[in-house]
Amino acid sequence: MVQLSLPKNSKVKKGKYFKDKTGSKNLRKINIYRWDPSTEENPRIDTYEVDMDNCPSKVLDILNKIKNEIDPTLAYRRSCAHGVCGSCAMNMGGKNGLACTTPHAEIDGDIDIYPLPHLKVKRDLIGDLDGLYKQYQSIEPWLKNNSTKQTTEIYQSKEDRAKLDGAYECIMCACCSTSCPSYWWNGDKYLGPAVLLQAYRWIIDSRDEERKARLKKVSDELKLYRCHTILNCTNACPKGLNPAKAIAEIKKMLATANV
Amino acid sequence: MENRPLSPHIQIYKWHISSLVSISHRITGIINFFAITLICIWFALMLLGESNYQIIKNFLETFLGKFILIGITWSFSFQMLSEVRHLIMDLGYGFELQTTKITGLLVIFGSIVLTILIYLIGRGLI
Repeated sequence: MVQLSLPKNSKVKKGKYFKDKTGSKNLRKINIYRWDPSTEENPRIDTYEVDMDNCPSKVLDILNKIKNEIDPTLAYRRSCAHGVCGSCAMNMGGKNGLACTTPHAEIDGDIDIYPLPHLKVKRDLIGDLDGLYKQYQSIEPWLKNNSTKQTTEIYQSKEDRAKLDGAYECIMCACCSTSCPSYWWNGDKYLGPAVLLQAYRWIIDSRDEERKARLKKVSDELKLYRCHTILNCTNACPKGLNPAKAIAEIKKMLATANV
Repeated sequence: MENRPLSPHIQIYKWHISSLVSISHRITGIINFFAITLICIWFALMLLGESNYQIIKNFLETFLGKFILIGITWSFSFQMLSEVRHLIMDLGYGFELQTTKITGLLVIFGSIVLTILIYLIGRGLI
């Protein structure tokens, strides 16, 4: 059932205000979603005044600055800082993306930072992605070849290899799936753009022998057809991939093939 | 563990052209469902006598009636154009971000232009 408002324990309250102590003239207000699991309190929005004269260009730099210089209790995931690992996926200025590749200059006014939407929050900006990982596991994202005799490399033509472009680059940061309204309302059953893009990646792999079985598996009113081409996913993808198109291709294959 | 809050979603997520067209497609779909029902009732009433026709005609000539008529015209126009957009997408075309923006804008402005056109044709002005 579509739940437009947040449950009672998730209503966001106004939090603390951290005034600038550096005396800088180039200040920006950063509003960050905070929730501490050790208290019984509701989530809150803390506001930080950050000196932008001494801050590098990305949103992650702002978070690091806040954690190092203003408030060490702030919790968020980050690792590579180069858009490769997908750890720092979050919602900035109303749009999902990687904090390490999103320039803060692209966001107008005060910068609002939230965890990825419609997830159970573990703490501050850290959402629980277990459900998504379980769905990823369910599509069996590995090469399936039934031949027991083959001991050599399985060759693939350049054309067949090119089909994987735009699908294999996915870093599973979950920006797309958590931007999708269909995934918000039906996330327990609908696979969501990230997982469907990977399902597509294995369906079109020329070396895989389970194509039909894979197609049959995703051919489901809830698993696949909850996609209504809202295109939030393609808009959100920090790697410039197109999950919406991949889903459309799967639908097309199901419509034309006899599965 | 069970007390974990749900992170904000529709409350904070930024709208863009494609998501607006998508939600409007649903809303106009619901409006059209009721509009068609209304039109069917009108036709059924007409079968029952001339005076019934006059009552509804009088209503449709009021400000509210005109608003409803123009609203329905827009709603049908929007639904039709948006449906064509979705048909093209179902064929696997038009998924590039720039293209989705352009086709989305075409649907929005096209529906307004179509409404005006239908109005003018209906009034015998063109």
